[in-house]
Amino acid sequence: MGADPVAAMTGDRPVGVAIVDDHPVVVEGVRAWLATEPRLTVLATGDDPDAVLRAAPDADVILLDLRLHGRMALDKLAELSAAGRRVVVYSEHTDPQTMLAALDAGAVAFLAKHEGREHCVETVLAAASDRPYVPPALAGAMVGDPRPDRPMLSDKEREALLLWFQSMSKASVARRMQISEHTVKQYVDRARIKYTRAGRPAATKAALLARAIEDGLVRPEEIGIYRSQAAHDRPTP
Amino acid sequence: MSADLGAPAHPTDALEAPDRASVPTPREPISAEGLAAPAAVAHASDRGARIVAVAIALAWHVAIGLPAVLTARAQFAAPTVVLGAWVLVAVAGAVAGVRLLRGSPLPPWPLAGLLLAVDAAVFAAAGEQQLFTAANWVWGTLGWFFVLALWGQRVVGLIALLSTHALIALVAVLGHGPDPADVARYVMYVYGTFSLPVAVFVGSATIVGLARERAAVSAADHAMAAERDAAERGRRERRDRLALAGSAAGRVLGELAAGQADPDDPEVQRRCVLAAARLRRLIAESDDVPDPLLHELRAAADLAERNGLPIDLVTIGTPPPLPVEVRRRLADPLTGTLADAQGWARLTVVSSPDEVVVSLVTPDREGPGATGLPPGDHDDGQVQYLYERDGNIRWAQTRWQR
Repeated sequence: MGADPVAAMTGDRPVGVAIVDDHPVVVEGVRAWLATEPRLTVLATGDDPDAVLRAAPDADVILLDLRLHGRMALDKLAELSAAGRRVVVYSEHTDPQTMLAALDAGAVAFLAKHEGREHCVETVLAAASDRPYVPPALAGAMVGDPRPDRPMLSDKEREALLLWFQSMSKASVARRMQISEHTVKQYVDRARIKYTRAGRPAATKAALLARAIEDGLVRPEEIGIYRSQAAHDRPTP
Repeated sequence: MSADLGAPAHPTDALEAPDRASVPTPREPISAEGLAAPAAVAHASDRGARIVAVAIALAWHVAIGLPAVLTARAQFAAPTVVLGAWVLVAVAGAVAGVRLLRGSPLPPWPLAGLLLAVDAAVFAAAGEQQLFTAANWVWGTLGWFFVLALWGQRVVGLIALLSTHALIALVAVLGHGPDPADVARYVMYVYGTFSLPVAVFVGSATIVGLARERAAVSAADHAMAAERDAAERGRRERRDRLALAGSAAGRVLGELAAGQADPDDPEVQRRCVLAAARLRRLIAESDDVPDPLLHELRAAADLAERNGLPIDLVTIGTPPPLPVEVRRRLADPLTGTLADAQGWARLTVVSSPDEVVVSLVTPDREGPGATGLPPGDHDDGQVQYLYERDGNIRWAQTRWQR
């Protein structure tokens, strides 16, 4: 990630965050986490996505608890993503299928609830600028993806995902792979970008892909097959 | 990491046997039993039918064929051939019957060839006068020996043999001059020789099939019931442990809420971390059928946790059946390192049909290296072992690739 991509995108205005969770104590906890980061501001909270978005229609990022009132909100997630809403899913349901299903539905990122403040802040900041952020739990789900139509990852990308999942330390992964930390992050992020191909098209996926190309993370010719899809589902300016 | 980590599952063959034999998990004996039972039932049922077939053939040959042959021996065109053929079939039939009952039948087609040769010889040697009498014993008896010869084969073979038998008889009948009455009798005889052996043959095969099916259904029922029991037991155990972990978490939360515990107290923080790690691990456990490798690692994690170490165990995918040796090499170095771990630990397992990677990460502290394998890298051809400490973490990893 660049020095301050968020500022570049949103001007000086901090990133507006909406929190949707049906447990008030969790809402308060996440709000406290985000409050430590001046570039973030919580605009609205609640347990109903529609009500929260009515209260904060300009929210840049929605933190969505995947399980609301006892049922998985994957449909809602897909609907919001298709509409171009940047949704960061956070959930205690960290089984790989759920995480991959959330990515397929268009979530910008998936955060396990136990992954802590640092990952949470990082993820929201990255999401606000349509950049990928892969916390360790998600890396594990991606590297262990058993589906036959999973995206093809390079050996380096797989290795970086695996080691990041295991160690939760990019510095250690870099030492192990004898590459720079920056390159580790590139491998991990490129793997994530390849997942914009999986599942149904969504405006958020197209935005991630477009930003990755802009940033030089992937080249259009590297991703031939999803170039056409990007053209197809890229939101019109 | 190989590119085929997430390849779709395919059966593992060679590796399965030693592993299955030596690691009893609730499911394995059930499936073995489930496979063996229908076969045993079918075998028992088939044995009864075989005894019946052998008894019919030999009894018919001796009780009906022999007296008729002896009575009419003077009227045969070639009595020696008819009698000799009778003895030959008696001997061959007895041997075939015994072998069949012992479960090692004679080769079917040579035996069938012999029987057909006897058939032709007897029809030629019986002569016109004895053609349709009981003395021409091949009419009635030979069909039963065909049944013995072709036991367990498809019914088409039996029909082919009986048809050849009918053809030989037709040649003999027509050879003595075409007489409409003889042809009518011939048709009747052919019908008689066909119907009973085919009925017995098909009937016994059907009964065996039904018995096998019934046994399979009942074995499947048993297996399902046992699996349900195992799942229920697993669920109960998990629930009990959850209650235990929950009460620990509840206690510390209660003390915090009541103001008896100070959130700044490192001991209280440690109790919270421990309770949270334990709850998280219980929530993450989702395998209804325990995998031996995961089982071992979970046991090691439980042990470490009881010693006060907050530990995360995250598993992705299900390991394929692995030989005990491989499993040991995957788990042992890490459980050794785990015994020395301080502060916290993160144990991860990523499995696909072709690869299993186990990793243990703990904070790097001053002190000696881990027990177990010395730090460094090993690759014994089956399992690769990596260990390093970088001042930040200690990182042990074992990796098996097909």
